[in-house]
Amino acid sequence: MMTSPLAGLVLAGIGAPLVLLVVLGGASVLNRPLGERWTGPLAASMLTLSCAALLAALVVHGATSAGARLLSYGARSGGGDGGIALELLVDPLSLAFAALSAAIAGVVSAFSNRYLHREPGYSRYFVLLAMFVTGMLFVALAGNVEVLFIGWEFVGLSSALLVAFFHERPAPVSNALRVFSVYRISDAAMLSAAVLLRHAAGTDSLALLFGGAGAASAVALTQGNATLIAVLLIVAVAGKSALLPFSGWLPRAMEGPTPSSAVYYGSLSIHAGCFLLLRSAPLLAHAPAAALLAGALGGATAVFAGLTTRVQSDVKSSLAYASLTQVGLIIAEIACGWTTLAFVHMVGHACFRLLQFLSAPNVLHDLHGMEDAIGDRPARSGGLLETLAPESVRRRLFLAVLERGFLDSILERAVVQPFERTARRLTSLDRWLCGAPMSAGQPMAFEAESRDD
Amino acid sequence: MRERSLPGDPGPSLGRTIDDLAQLLPAQGPISIFIHHNTLHAFEHLPFEQAVEEAARRLDREPYLAESRYRGKLASGRILARDVAALLEAQLGPRGAEDVAGLGGRLALWQAVVLHGIPFAAGRELSWILEETPALSRFRTDLPADARAALAALVEQVDDPAGEERRVVRRLWRACLEAIDRAGDPPRAPDPAPPVRHRDWLRIAYGLDVDDWIHPPLIRFLAGYLDQGLAHWAMPGRDRGIHGCFLELYGTPLASQCGAWARTLPRIVADDRAEGRDALASIAHSLAALGVPEGEWRECLGAELLALRGWAGIVRQIEERPDRVPARDIMVTLRGYLASRLLLERAAVDEAMRRLSLSGPPAALRAALRGRRPVASPPTAAERAWTLFHLAQLRGVDASLVGQWTPGQIGELEAELSDLDEVRRRRILHQAFERTIRHRLYDALALHTPPAPPERPVFQAIFCLDEREESFRRHLEEIEPACETFGTAGFFNVAMYHQGASDAHPRPLCPVAIRPVHFVAEVEPDRDRLAGRSRRLQRRAAGFLGYNVHLGSRLPVRGALLMTMFGWLALVPLILRVVFPWLFSRVRVAPAAAGGTRLQLDRRGLPPPIGVHNGFTVREMADIVRGVLVDIGISPRLSPLVLVLGHGSVSLNNPHESAHDCGACGGGRGGPNARAFAQMANDPRVRELLAEEGLRVDAATWFVGGQRNTCDNTVDFFDEDLVPEVVRPLFARAKDAVGAARRREAHERCRRFDPVPGWYPPAAALAHVQGRAADLAQPRPEYGHATNAFCVVGRRARTRGLFLDRRAFLVSYDPTQDADGAILSRTLAAAVPVVAGISLEYYFSYVDPSGYGSGTKLPHNVTSLLGVMDGAQSDLRTGLPWQMVEVHEPARLAIVVEGAPERLWRVVSDNPALDRLVRNRWIWLACLDVRSDALWELRPDGFVRHAPQHPLPAVAGDSATWYQGKRGFLAPVAIVAASAGAPSRRAIEVQAV
Repeated sequence: MMTSPLAGLVLAGIGAPLVLLVVLGGASVLNRPLGERWTGPLAASMLTLSCAALLAALVVHGATSAGARLLSYGARSGGGDGGIALELLVDPLSLAFAALSAAIAGVVSAFSNRYLHREPGYSRYFVLLAMFVTGMLFVALAGNVEVLFIGWEFVGLSSALLVAFFHERPAPVSNALRVFSVYRISDAAMLSAAVLLRHAAGTDSLALLFGGAGAASAVALTQGNATLIAVLLIVAVAGKSALLPFSGWLPRAMEGPTPSSAVYYGSLSIHAGCFLLLRSAPLLAHAPAAALLAGALGGATAVFAGLTTRVQSDVKSSLAYASLTQVGLIIAEIACGWTTLAFVHMVGHACFRLLQFLSAPNVLHDLHGMEDAIGDRPARSGGLLETLAPESVRRRLFLAVLERGFLDSILERAVVQPFERTARRLTSLDRWLCGAPMSAGQPMAFEAESRDD
Repeated sequence: MRERSLPGDPGPSLGRTIDDLAQLLPAQGPISIFIHHNTLHAFEHLPFEQAVEEAARRLDREPYLAESRYRGKLASGRILARDVAALLEAQLGPRGAEDVAGLGGRLALWQAVVLHGIPFAAGRELSWILEETPALSRFRTDLPADARAALAALVEQVDDPAGEERRVVRRLWRACLEAIDRAGDPPRAPDPAPPVRHRDWLRIAYGLDVDDWIHPPLIRFLAGYLDQGLAHWAMPGRDRGIHGCFLELYGTPLASQCGAWARTLPRIVADDRAEGRDALASIAHSLAALGVPEGEWRECLGAELLALRGWAGIVRQIEERPDRVPARDIMVTLRGYLASRLLLERAAVDEAMRRLSLSGPPAALRAALRGRRPVASPPTAAERAWTLFHLAQLRGVDASLVGQWTPGQIGELEAELSDLDEVRRRRILHQAFERTIRHRLYDALALHTPPAPPERPVFQAIFCLDEREESFRRHLEEIEPACETFGTAGFFNVAMYHQGASDAHPRPLCPVAIRPVHFVAEVEPDRDRLAGRSRRLQRRAAGFLGYNVHLGSRLPVRGALLMTMFGWLALVPLILRVVFPWLFSRVRVAPAAAGGTRLQLDRRGLPPPIGVHNGFTVREMADIVRGVLVDIGISPRLSPLVLVLGHGSVSLNNPHESAHDCGACGGGRGGPNARAFAQMANDPRVRELLAEEGLRVDAATWFVGGQRNTCDNTVDFFDEDLVPEVVRPLFARAKDAVGAARRREAHERCRRFDPVPGWYPPAAALAHVQGRAADLAQPRPEYGHATNAFCVVGRRARTRGLFLDRRAFLVSYDPTQDADGAILSRTLAAAVPVVAGISLEYYFSYVDPSGYGSGTKLPHNVTSLLGVMDGAQSDLRTGLPWQMVEVHEPARLAIVVEGAPERLWRVVSDNPALDRLVRNRWIWLACLDVRSDALWELRPDGFVRHAPQHPLPAVAGDSATWYQGKRGFLAPVAIVAASAGAPSRRAIEVQAV
């Protein structure tokens, strides 16, 4: 079933960043970080190797067959339960996205090698970047739920840790926590989908959802199960790609060094959700209600982010919401079933936005240049909506988008505060039941805040 | 622009208070016109040391480097122990000989403590040190020699020295503990100052930080209000002033959604609006509502301003100089900002009280919290014993002696140590550090025997006084020994608004203290012909395309089309610019303007777009030309060709790009000034006028203006086609020399850049710096003014041939042509504030990189086109980023003026600004005698002759012979031509390092 050159190339493609992660991470764990002299060239060569191998695999795959293949590495006990195998689903879509991820990561590692020169967190940064690339390739090529989940977690963990890169200041750390907690919701949804899949179909192979390889397809699921799984996946996607109502974390994630913001929120991580949904297009086709939900979420996100980016007065937030606008549109395209368009859109956006993010500090230089060429300051008209609406509506709308749709405070009131209240009630219930002084070591601040409405 | 208040209001006095408090704010303007200034300008009326320490307390910053950094410099020889000793001797005077608690003279005691330090440790850290480190089992390893010998004697004659040492050290520790026990309670430490703001009270008492609530929306509002064109949709109502706009925007019930804390915000805002309060009235009302008594207003408002000092600072800057920002439709006042801030704060305090179940009006909060004021805890016995323990070791005293200390003696020792506290030790070490650096220059100047200047220079070159030109001039002189160079403020006396042929707007090119009155435009010769029109059209088309990509990428539909169809094309520039920047730098975009443009210098009747006059009259031009030629002393010896070179810097992905431009051009590029100057000096009408006044410029003399890009070392000359035929061969020769100097100067700069190996050839070095300038990923395109430490005002003949390591501002001034000191007075008044501002800004940004500086560049986020924030959102970061200053040595500028000390003193005392800087020692002043080698240093008791301590080695060859292969700071040496038969290079290195 498997042609060995293809399997070898894919393994090399996915193995190179893994080797990088093991070498850099291992050296750091042993408290012997490699230093700039070795890290930069090693990262560059491994990522180039990975990209080249994946491109070659794409060519080999195209030359030999058209369909999707399931490559399985490692033993697996029968019956679908027991051991974990490294299963990769290989088709032009997954190979192209993987190759693009490796290429972009390679460019970013070359950028970062100079940008982070002499930075105290240099080694840490590259370990996290390697973890990220490995995670992205796992997500791109995942053939079963385990591989997908490992990749998903690698991406999420490295993302949160890079947001907290400058951990000597409080803001990056608290924002990283916020990003991480949204990611946990997304992860939980993903895990639930996996459990449900296994429960309903008795397999963890993603071929079932993604279609293609073998006889398995989404048809094997009942309508209800398919919809439920699809909705759970959409929640996972919404968390990872900052769709409504989770969009609030995206601008907060701009705390890391510029290249990490670029590769995560301009280019790859933000599209991981789109890619997952793109892969699940066969499932969506089988669950029209879920497709409708995805379309609505994508469209609403695009409108919200499109308005919000207009009023952002710092370059990174402006770019973050601009990215989100396109991500919302891509999700909507997928929901409509225009998968090829969505893929081209996604690739174009990933490349373009990366360049824009990487040159974000150049915005003064760029705008001055444009202004000089045009001969005047370009007029700031605002869109039709902004100019035509009556003034009081305009003011309110402006405040609403300036405050980013009030998403943070709505979430805080609707989710965080009730959650905290419940937790406190449970604590006092325990105290009442056991009579134990539970609050002995608690800081006063927590008590002080614990007043109920 | 300020909002007026009605009589009878709290207005006038409150307004004055705010204006007064505003001085504490960072005085940095918009980042694209970066002007170096003394970060602590507001403290200049105090002596330097007092000022930095006072500012450190008030602003919560560092006054000097950390003590450990100075100790590192002591170890590496950047600070000499003998300088520390000399300083202590001078500072202690007769007190140095007094005996302290039987431990010997104070001088020796202080010297031991300052040179070796007493590590600070308290609380759990101290417990950890005592339990987990060898502190109690070994003597310190970094003791002074005498102490080490005395302590070693205690453990010498035993079989088990390590065990014995442990016992001796433990005995000493116990003795110290017992001594503290005997001494009784320490003197009571003063309580920490009570908090000022409500937020501080709440944080101390309940751990609740209301700034975390109000700062995010406040920053968003303010950034949106001040935005200069980054956001596509401008904030509505910006013409109403900050406070008015805030009331409009937050007056809706929606505003309560700004955060879970904002419940009462709409009510508070609506109340302000209904009462029709202006900003000042609103501030007064808010303060009253918060229960701040009028006596505490000043303190409270000061603390409010400092809470977001970067943003408040830029508000103040725009309020004072609205002409320096492009947005004309906004009205910016600091009081407006304060009023809005206090409204938010009131809502937050309401919510905090609600959450804490504190009843009563907010006005009562301060009183209610007064009981929860923190008290100072006295040091523990172990903490006190710890310092004695170290002191005993430093003086080589053993347990038996410590056991004999009386309570009185112990009190005396503790008092002595609290007198010589950490800040004081750092101060002394810092002073010694500066002294070491400064004296190397004094030694070099006093000992240097310059080569005789060329009798008739083949050509001359006038540069900016910038210290980055020191190396360029040195290399040029090494390449062409028959040339002569000069340095003067890089605007060459031409203060103007300049609009280049491809510029959208005119910009001022002159020191920031001057508001230019003249406007000068650059025009293309074929402006109205077809070629000119089509070029302009192409330029506009390219601009519109760029702008539409910029904007379209942010819009949904246009963005989707753009990304889907052309997005992947971005991979090409991405890979080219990031992976092969040096290649990319070759692909030059066609010049925006055609060759053969001219400056319209002549006065024309048309009203200028900005300023008062369109162009200069011949009279004005003659004055400008005479000013420079006379002041730098070139006028009696003009050669047939004079190059006039301004400078600027172009780099990518660098929001602080303008900070590398010419300070004398107000953070602009000085090429147009050099060009204008040359054109004026070539003008026959000007020469005629000058000749009438006795300044003869030979008809054969030709001036050529140019500009050096200090980042990629390109040198462009202007109006080359006008160079007369007879001068052309000479000009070609000069251009060759300049070309070679470009390579060599790039090479010298490369020795500081990390990945460049020491064996790099000069040709490759030029490619390297060009790559840096074009590299998106490069946070250090050049090192700017970093390492600046000296300024020499005098004839180049005194410094020619001296290797000053790009650390010296060089101002040309010929005391032999200055009969009455008028030239000196002018020169110092123009140059010193600029160079002192640069030096002090670098000092503070280095000493406290994240406090006074703007921290690391990597998370910087350009905001409102006015400045940078850290990451997603933060206070506006002012000062220089760490990557710009990391190779710097924070030392005040040492200015050496050639001339007579009495005259120098008179000139300085006559200028109040200079006098303040010199008297309060924000700069060091010295005087180099015109005729002899004597160098007088200005000390508190007047000019004192400096006795050189280091020989000045001579290096045969060129500068590269001395610097090649070396990374760190290099001492001044005399570079002599290889034929002069100096000692071999190896021998010199041994001598000099």
